[in-house]
Amino acid sequence: MEKLLVFVEAKGDEPRKATIELLSETRNLSDAGSFAVTAVGLGKISEHAIEKVLGYADRFVRITDGLLDDYTPEGYSEALAAYARQEDVRLVLGAATQAARDFLPRTAVLLGAGIASDVTAIGWADDPMTFVRPMYGGRVPSRCTFTGYPAVVSVRPNAFAVAPAGARRGEYVEWRAGVSPDRIKTRVLRVERESKGKIDLMEADSIVTGGRGMKAAENFALLEELAAALGGAVGASRSVVDAKWRDQDDQVGKSGKTVSPKLYIAAGLSGAIHHVMGMDTSGVILAINKDPNAIIFNYADYGIVGDVMEVVPAMTAELKKRTGR
Amino acid sequence: MTIVVLAKQVPDPEALVEVRAGGTELQIEQKFATNLFDEYAIEEALRIKEKHGGKVTIITLGGPKATELLRTALAMGADDVLLLEDPAFLEGDGYATALTLSKAVATQGADLVLCGRQAIDDDRGEVGPMVAEFLGLPHVGAVMKLDIGDGAARAERAVEGGREVVEVTLPAVITAAKGLNEPRVPQVMGVMKAMRAQIPRTSPADLGLAPSDIGKAGSKLKIERYFTREKRAAVKFIEGTPDEQAAEAIRILADVERVV
Ligand SMILES: Cc1cc2nc3c(=O)[nH]c(=O)nc-3n(C[C@H](O)[C@H](O)[C@H](O)COP(=O)(O)OP(=O)(O)OC[C@H]3O[C@@H](n4cnc5c(N)ncnc54)[C@H](O)[C@@H]3O)c2cc1C
Ligand SMILES: Nc1ncnc2c1ncn2[C@@H]1O[C@H](COP(=O)(O)O)[C@@H](O)[C@H]1O
Repeated sequence: MEKLLVFVEAKGDEPRKATIELLSETRNLSDAGSFAVTAVGLGKISEHAIEKVLGYADRFVRITDGLLDDYTPEGYSEALAAYARQEDVRLVLGAATQAARDFLPRTAVLLGAGIASDVTAIGWADDPMTFVRPMYGGRVPSRCTFTGYPAVVSVRPNAFAVAPAGARRGEYVEWRAGVSPDRIKTRVLRVERESKGKIDLMEADSIVTGGRGMKAAENFALLEELAAALGGAVGASRSVVDAKWRDQDDQVGKSGKTVSPKLYIAAGLSGAIHHVMGMDTSGVILAINKDPNAIIFNYADYGIVGDVMEVVPAMTAELKKRTGR
Repeated sequence: MTIVVLAKQVPDPEALVEVRAGGTELQIEQKFATNLFDEYAIEEALRIKEKHGGKVTIITLGGPKATELLRTALAMGADDVLLLEDPAFLEGDGYATALTLSKAVATQGADLVLCGRQAIDDDRGEVGPMVAEFLGLPHVGAVMKLDIGDGAARAERAVEGGREVVEVTLPAVITAAKGLNEPRVPQVMGVMKAMRAQIPRTSPADLGLAPSDIGKAGSKLKIERYFTREKRAAVKFIEGTPDEQAAEAIRILADVERVV
């Protein structure tokens, strides 16, 4: 049977949500007998994360090597390519997280393989298989095919739905990578993590983004509260980042992050094309703006003409009332 | 310090892009700009040269219009430019494009290669790491701060939920993210000089590449079709006092859309 390799990324003790989304999709293929699915974890990965992934894959392979303890693109790409080569796989897949988008292109070169980055849909049954990837900031989706295999694919978070783990449990295997020490030329000096428990923008189910209409950095507390009630994350427009009200990591748009949550709330932002390019593929979009002619309303499903300072706290209160939190 | 920058000319973010001929072609309004992230790469190269000395060469693969990008870079202060211009070079996937660019970089003996995190037309974000792999060099992706030391560089990059500081030995490839710097505006003197500059060109044969290995012909990923995104239905405004609007919004999101 043809093999799919799925790169597993963890965040702390848990597999990343985007990895589970991808594994949910590939498990269907395994259940249907179309592909055998091997999940691959590199370096340190918790027992708990492995246990979870085994509910989705036929096999979990942990590639061990001291040189994989810290993420380096050289080490990760070499280890994954070596295993993919040995197993003669059809596709190497990974959730399109920052790390995967950083090292999968190198894996492709090592395999002499083509790569499709940040795909949003896969036609598994098409012959040849097809991959949809957004271009021009999401304005133009394109459908692509590979001229040969193996091939490498990264899948945008929120492209597939999370399914519960199955009753079947895969087998656990360890494999020694033998990464060449000479190859590793980057060294991680330190990692500065932000406050724990902060939900990553690219993986969040809901995002509340504030624009210059929030007027001041401290007013983002209102958005934090709404996001907390929704279990989501807070984003920012570029003007807000440039004004230093929010960190660069929070920026949504052309020169920031591309996000695709189920719910996107745009609060006090105008809807400049550069911003829209980063959020246009979101599920439901609600815009709040005091100007009834704001461009953002052209891209929204629902609009509230009003003052963010009044509407946002009222939404938070209403949500808390409903959920009893 | 020999610094090479890979920069691409892309349609202006506001250029109209239309899907034509049953999805087989794109018609793009003829408005171009240097890819945003590549501007950061060019600026960073110039700052490194100003601080440590050396030479900055800008390489682009593109059509005749890409000379505009090169002239702008010269006006900003780049020393040398190179245009990879040949129909065979064009419309490559990430693999073919990176293969070609890596051959061009190899002719330069670079200590440092700078490029953008992603080109905003194809939205791939592949070429930087792939060029690095083809050249057997390390890379650091999406860099927001860069310090060049003796034979090594220290780079700060964004990772999910934080920042990572890494040290990399040179030569290396660095891909630029927003936050790295603020690109300068070219001075009049520079612009005048750049207008007169000769733009050297390179062909596939010069790089030892067969036309079948590069561009569209050499691509491993082929685009079958383009689509027009379905437009969202017109916005539905929620009326009332702020409290009424908020209550109705939450009701819709929870009970109708089921997203909360
Ligand atoms: C090359 C390039 C790349 C760019 N990349 C990005 C990017 O990645 N992301 C990005 O966001 N932008 C980006 N921009 C900038 C973009 O073009 C806009 O300038 C920016 O998005 C505007 O931010 P804003 O909507 O917060 O501010 P504004 O455009 O000033 O809008 C503020 C809005 O708030 C509303 N408002 C004011 N007060 C209230 C209130 N009390 N209640 C309700 N509404 C209120 C106003 O009606 C207005 O519509 C880029 C620009 C360029 C040139
Ligand atoms: N045609 C090109 N000419 C020069 N540099 C390019 C070209 N295509 C891509 N690059 C560089 O590679 C980066 C990433 O491109 P991409 O992988 O296409 O998103 C860009 O920001 C450029 O620095």
